[in-house]
Amino acid sequence: MSPAPSPVVLAEVLARGDVWRGDTLASLPAATIPSGHAELDAELPGGGWPRGNLTEILVDRNGLGEMTLLLPALARLSQAGGWLALVAPPWRPQAPAWAAAGVALERLVVVQAGRQAAWCCEQLLASGGFAGVLAWPDAGLDARALRRLQVAAEQRPVFACLWRSTATAGSPSPAPLRIALAASAGGLALRIIKRRGRPAARPLILSIPRPGRTSRVVAGPALSPVAARSAALAALA
Amino acid sequence: MWACDRAAVAAGVGAGQKLSTALGLQPGLAVFERDESLEGRTLENLACWAGRFTPNVSLAPPAGLLLEIGGCLRLFGGASAIVEAVLAGCAEQAYSVAWAAAPTALGARWLAQAGSGALHPTLVTMQAALAELPCSVPDWPAEVPERLAAFGLHRLGDLATVPAAGLRRRIGNGPVDDLLRASGELHDLQMPFVFPENFAGALELPARVEHAEALAFAGQRLLAALSGWLHARQLLARACTLHLAHDDGSHSALPLRLAEASADEGRFLRLLREHLAHLQLAVPVAALRLAADEVAARPGASIPLFDQPPAGEGAVACLERLRARLGESAVRTLGQHADYRPECATREREVGADLPTIGPSTAPRLAHGPRPRRGHVGKYPWGATFGSARPLWLLHAPQPLAERADGPHWHGPLQLLTRGERLESGWWDAGEAGAAGDLQRDYFVARNPQGQWAWIFRDAAGWFLHGLFA
Repeated sequence: MSPAPSPVVLAEVLARGDVWRGDTLASLPAATIPSGHAELDAELPGGGWPRGNLTEILVDRNGLGEMTLLLPALARLSQAGGWLALVAPPWRPQAPAWAAAGVALERLVVVQAGRQAAWCCEQLLASGGFAGVLAWPDAGLDARALRRLQVAAEQRPVFACLWRSTATAGSPSPAPLRIALAASAGGLALRIIKRRGRPAARPLILSIPRPGRTSRVVAGPALSPVAARSAALAALA
Repeated sequence: MWACDRAAVAAGVGAGQKLSTALGLQPGLAVFERDESLEGRTLENLACWAGRFTPNVSLAPPAGLLLEIGGCLRLFGGASAIVEAVLAGCAEQAYSVAWAAAPTALGARWLAQAGSGALHPTLVTMQAALAELPCSVPDWPAEVPERLAAFGLHRLGDLATVPAAGLRRRIGNGPVDDLLRASGELHDLQMPFVFPENFAGALELPARVEHAEALAFAGQRLLAALSGWLHARQLLARACTLHLAHDDGSHSALPLRLAEASADEGRFLRLLREHLAHLQLAVPVAALRLAADEVAARPGASIPLFDQPPAGEGAVACLERLRARLGESAVRTLGQHADYRPECATREREVGADLPTIGPSTAPRLAHGPRPRRGHVGKYPWGATFGSARPLWLLHAPQPLAERADGPHWHGPLQLLTRGERLESGWWDAGEAGAAGDLQRDYFVARNPQGQWAWIFRDAAGWFLHGLFA
């Protein structure tokens, strides 16, 4: 009669070197930048925004708080003496707001690249002198160009972030971290589409500091004088 | 015929032949006239370039340069390192060079003219090498080697075996003194090359150049000379101009400007290549001239002992390249300006410009804004400066909003979340072209059902969208 198999403790099995647990996040070799939001840090591999890799943030509506999400990390990079670059931003940055957020204005460079946004991005990443590069590339950026950007960003401690539209979520991209942002009742809803390690199960709701009072709506005059006059005329007629 | 290249020599043309003989041997020969002033200028450019190795440079016309490297051996780490660097630099500029290194100037010169590409570190080895040289190598008048050959003295070493007094009587004092100088027994003072006060290097192109990219090679020689001159004079250059002289006598100028002063030839060359890639030449170029416009003394900064220099070219060098490609106004940093009008509060300025900026502590306090409640100041970071929030992004031009029964609409009805902030400013600008003009606006922070936060204002002309709280 064969001897009964001895019970093996689960912990011993897991402690073996040749057993890989599928529910762990990856740890990155390079240092990461703390994002300033504890729940987000818990979900990002390495505990913060990755350096030396592309990060893609996909938004379809602007004004949700997408830049405020990055501002603590950008302020930290700028205070440490690093240079930040904004490549082809679709609007004009307003200096008092950026300065009040903690970004040193003399080390914030705005590059109006136009059609050559991808080339500018590659040059800024490869130069090695910038701590953070935020770019708004054209919609027609293909995977080959993204691969070049990823190669340029490797080996350098630079935080590279590309802003694209949610329509590109289905197209392949070599960026190791892809996050889609949407608005939700409690704040900003982050859906991590791609990251190193286990895939994210459900979206993360973050509360971002927002201006004004969110508790109650202030009642103010609804119509401008022009429209009020035309409405009054329409009522008379 | 003075000199021929390899293809001509293969066809049978040699130095010393008459022009008609050479053309008869090879009818398709390209003949250039020898221009001695051009050779002199090229030698001076080379002397400027050699300033990066040593400050003591002498000209040995027609085609010789003497570099005194005894004082620089320790800096470069040995004579062979200097020799390698010199030869590499000459190869980059496409000069073919015959060289020799020896303890005395005249000895080194004779050895180089004889074509020995070797380093002779001590007097003894140098004298042994000199003894092997034929008597035709030094620049003596033609009858001296003939007389020496008649005596049976063919090599310089044989001259040492003959009594000096008799030799002096027969061939004169000059050659005998030269021998003594070469072996180190007599002083040999060389005229040092004086680096010019203002650098102006000129180069005439051997053929007319029609494409701008081909100018990069000639420009590289001039930039090498500029860099050596800057090293020798311990200066840094911030701007230089490349003047192009065209075929029809007209002149044009190509300014090269760095974001920070530097003596590095590579940075100027990269900038020049970027400019040349965009340049269209209407008329072929005949000659180039490089002038250094803004130079400054090099600050004596001491290098930290244990720090490693960062790899990569750095932020400022990369921005120069971007500026050369996209235009001067495409690469900017931001500065604040004391103005209530949002369009005027942000100024764009050049990277590295030292204009005074208005910091958060000196920004004007708004007279009419609501006083922020304590809880809200801690919540968002920009509450400390202004009475109310300022958005991160401003639209290029205010966008008019549609108005429905319940107010302004932007992808849905907008909820107003703050009281109105009245900005009235700019009466002095009213009517001027290009200025913001007189503004009377009530600004509100609004949110739409999609979750977007906007900064809108109400004007006499209606509701407008002006900023986004991204």
